Amino acid sequence: MSLLELKGVSKIYGDLKALDNVNIHVDKGEWVAIMGPSGSGKSTMMNIIGCMDKPSTGEVLLDGVDISKESSKALTDIRRDKIGLVFQQFHMVNYLTAVENVMVSQYYHSMPDEEEALEALGRVGLRERAKHLPSQLSGGEQQRVCVARALINHPELILADEPTGNLDEANENIVLDLFRQLHDEGTTLIVVTHDPEVAEAAQRTIVLEHGRVAREVINENFGK
Amino acid sequence: MSKRKMFLRMITASLLRRRSRMLIALLSIAIGATILSGLVTIYYDVPRQMGAQFRSYGANMILLAKEGESLTTDTLQDALSVIPEDQLVGATPYRYVRLDMTSRQQSFTTAGTDFAEVQKTSPYFSVEGEYPQAAEEILLGKEIADTIGAKVGSYIQLTWRPVVTVHENASDDWVPNAKLSGSAEGFNAGIVVVEATLDDEGKIATLEIDASSQTPEIGGQVETDRNFISRFIGQSLPVSLGEDVDAVSGATISSQAVVDALNNARSTAKGSAAAERSGYFNVTGILVTGGEEESYIYMNLKDLEGLTNDNLLDVAELSVSANAEQLEEYAKAIDGSDAGITARLVKRVTRSETAVLGKLQALVFLVTVVVLLLTMICVSTTMMAVVSERRREIGLRKALGAPDSSIRAEFLGEGMFLGGLGGLLGGLLGFVFAQVVSVNVFGSSITFQPLLLPITLLVSMLIAAVSCLLPIKRAVAIDPALVLKGE
Ligand SMILES: Nc1ncnc2c1ncn2[C@@H]1O[C@H](COP(=O)(O)OP(=O)(O)OP(=O)(O)O)[C@@H](O)[C@H]1O
Ligand SMILES: [Mg+2]
Repeated sequence: MSLLELKGVSKIYGDLKALDNVNIHVDKGEWVAIMGPSGSGKSTMMNIIGCMDKPSTGEVLLDGVDISKESSKALTDIRRDKIGLVFQQFHMVNYLTAVENVMVSQYYHSMPDEEEALEALGRVGLRERAKHLPSQLSGGEQQRVCVARALINHPELILADEPTGNLDEANENIVLDLFRQLHDEGTTLIVVTHDPEVAEAAQRTIVLEHGRVAREVINENFGK
Repeated sequence: MSKRKMFLRMITASLLRRRSRMLIALLSIAIGATILSGLVTIYYDVPRQMGAQFRSYGANMILLAKEGESLTTDTLQDALSVIPEDQLVGATPYRYVRLDMTSRQQSFTTAGTDFAEVQKTSPYFSVEGEYPQAAEEILLGKEIADTIGAKVGSYIQLTWRPVVTVHENASDDWVPNAKLSGSAEGFNAGIVVVEATLDDEGKIATLEIDASSQTPEIGGQVETDRNFISRFIGQSLPVSLGEDVDAVSGATISSQAVVDALNNARSTAKGSAAAERSGYFNVTGILVTGGEEESYIYMNLKDLEGLTNDNLLDVAELSVSANAEQLEEYAKAIDGSDAGITARLVKRVTRSETAVLGKLQALVFLVTVVVLLLTMICVSTTMMAVVSERRREIGLRKALGAPDSSIRAEFLGEGMFLGGLGGLLGGLLGFVFAQVVSVNVFGSSITFQPLLLPITLLVSMLIAAVSCLLPIKRAVAIDPALVLKGE
């Protein structure tokens, strides 16, 4: 069953077509990797899927709703309720502790629950660092907190824009393991990456070039 | 954990862990609040302070006996009970009497008074030497001191002469066959002396007048005008000018003095024989005022009463710390009381007081408004900087699903928290500020107004909230996509 469908989506900045007639469809529970050279429009597409931006033309159906027609307030609601975001730069509120950063996501979604937030940190192996400020955490640890924050509200769809781009091997593996767990739990994952290893962990890889879908590759080895 | 608790946790964390920037905002609010509460304190205290200042220009209320009544220390106390104690700066009794200076055979107007009160109602009096403190000490007006060549430390003998010398037959209600002599003040403080004999019915038989102190061709005529003098013969005392006798034309004051002297002679003669009394007085100070006070001798009321053997007062000068309306009220109350005293306001002082006060308060008000505006600009600028400093964080919050209302609430919350804290700080500092100003400018301390603290708190929070409006608008406009794309 389809969760996400992009139909003829373009995003035009002046005379630059960041996205050029993109058609994609992602099933519920699917794990998709997005690859492509720098400037090929990966982040632009993720922003549109993540309800933070609107396409210049085309339709984006998320759970059957055309989000390209929604008001920004409605987009905020959809983002909050359905989507978990992990960014390339580990964006954390720098004056809040790890656990508080996770709780911020709960706060906007429903109810802050410190126990649950601590559990989520436990899942990314950072339970003991819960009371630490971002400045006291390594880059890899910060990214793991961001993953914990993305999954705390049990979103249907997790969007990760180069989540491992700045991580070492060990942290990369921790994050990938988490994605596997989430996938097993039925969460849909869309992961932008430059790293073929990360892409290989997904079921399918979509390659963008100059704002177009260049090709799609099914990962034969998935699950092995 | 409730949402509210998380909200507070986020705000306090933001304020506590991002100290430096917030300290600036806090400081500007605190300074604004300090000046605000300080000025408001002074604003409300200025009337009191200025009142006290104006008091130094002299009394603003005069008490006199009503027609036919007499002013004494006791009736004065009754009248004073009308005025609240904390508003009565001073009340100075005065009794004016002519005393003879034995060594010079000259008489001087002498005021019996209370020197402690004099210093309150006439703070502009300047004394070379010291105010009298013990009994039998006096203050000499500079003019007198110069005339008689007296200095601080001199001793002067002063004599009170009863205005009437009583004939040996004097007795009872009226005085038949008496020889009366009396005096009264005529034109230009000159004393007119009369000597009269009464027949056995108590009517005037003979009358001699000494009006040498009066202007010869005018008042002096009362001595020689047979028409005038003969009208007294056969009259019973007291006599009244215009009814029993007519004034010498052009010499009403001197004519009145003759009548007064006769009546004085009669009323005093009725009492026990009054002997002249005198005492030696030590000059402790010379009074310099530049006014008529320099031609008076001042002594303790008790000393004067010892000489005159009565407790009469001529006038009391009051210094009351109240606005024009209140003064009017007190004056009415005194007039209406049964103390037999009438109150007059010294208008010149009270009017200018009100006018100056109004201007001063307007000025303080203006400064307060300007300070509030400056505070608002400062806080607004700081919050603006805070917003741009936190662009990424705001973008992140939005990406995490924060609705605009949440972003607004968080910044408003932080702003109002700062406002509250700054207001509290400023409210307390403001009192210190007002105290310093008050002590340095007005030379007196002020009382702490507890109500001002919550008011300052509220105003500061309101100002902080208003200052946050523009920064919040900026914050809400931040596009999460742009912010999160990196940079
Ligand atoms: N707001 C914008 N205004 C103008 N041009 C933009 C804007 N955002 C993106 N672009 C352009 O659109 C193109 C696609 O950008 P995008 O960020 O999607 O690339 P990307 O594939 O994510 O690259 P990278 O791998 O470097 O992150 C780029 O050429 C970029 O310069
Ligand atoms: Mg990108």
